[in-house]
Amino acid sequence: MIPPEPFPRLTAENHRTTSPPSPEYNCVAWAAGDTEHWWQPGVFWPVETPPHDYGIGVLEMAFRALGYEDCESDESLEPGFEKVALYGSGAYYTHAARQTADGEWSSKLGKEEDILHHRPDDVAGGLYGEVIQILKRPARGG
Amino acid sequence: MGKLSPPEDLAQKMGPRDRFRRHLAEWKEQSRYLSNTAQMAMLRPYQQIIGMGAAAVPLILEELQREPGQWFWALESITEENPVAPEQAGRVRAMADAWIQWGIDRGLLS
Repeated sequence: MIPPEPFPRLTAENHRTTSPPSPEYNCVAWAAGDTEHWWQPGVFWPVETPPHDYGIGVLEMAFRALGYEDCESDESLEPGFEKVALYGSGAYYTHAARQTADGEWSSKLGKEEDILHHRPDDVAGGLYGEVIQILKRPARGG
Repeated sequence: MGKLSPPEDLAQKMGPRDRFRRHLAEWKEQSRYLSNTAQMAMLRPYQQIIGMGAAAVPLILEELQREPGQWFWALESITEENPVAPEQAGRVRAMADAWIQWGIDRGLLS
């Protein structure tokens, strides 16, 4: 069971677990469609980033490198597009979630499980801080 | 030098393995839902393990044998080495295996 302290907006009604825990990949990898790597700037990241920068900017750089562009925080389902939500707290990026084809959002919670949740905001408000940005790109299928 | 406060006194009486286990349990609990490795590494129990220095290295390697995890930051910080090949980067089990082999080669693990 996911504890309420780090996720005060998650309820039994707005999410469900969709995988067992795994230390092999993290939320950034999951949002990018990769379950074989733990994405980390300077170790495994799609672009060069400034040394010792682990803020929301390097997370945005990663998804822009994957073809995502700004969509003015529009979390609605847009046919023909796929979206990611980027989260930050203080000096750190904290989380990334991706929209599914039916408009739900999918999150890998650290080394723990994957969940489906209704809105990006459902996993915000606690450990992950707030949704900072939503990006979109033309859907690539799969 | 002044008298140690109770927590400091307790920490000095505990051996490295007990200290490591205590910090490990705290770090696992605090980091379980985190994905940003830097954020995980800045947590106090992780920094306390780095602060143990060389004594922590075989204990970290044993932990990697039990369960692959984000110990690479600590190992690099303490040893100033990185045995992970470029093609292994990001693959947690492969990174763990590279460090475990590094430890075996140096007699830190059997």
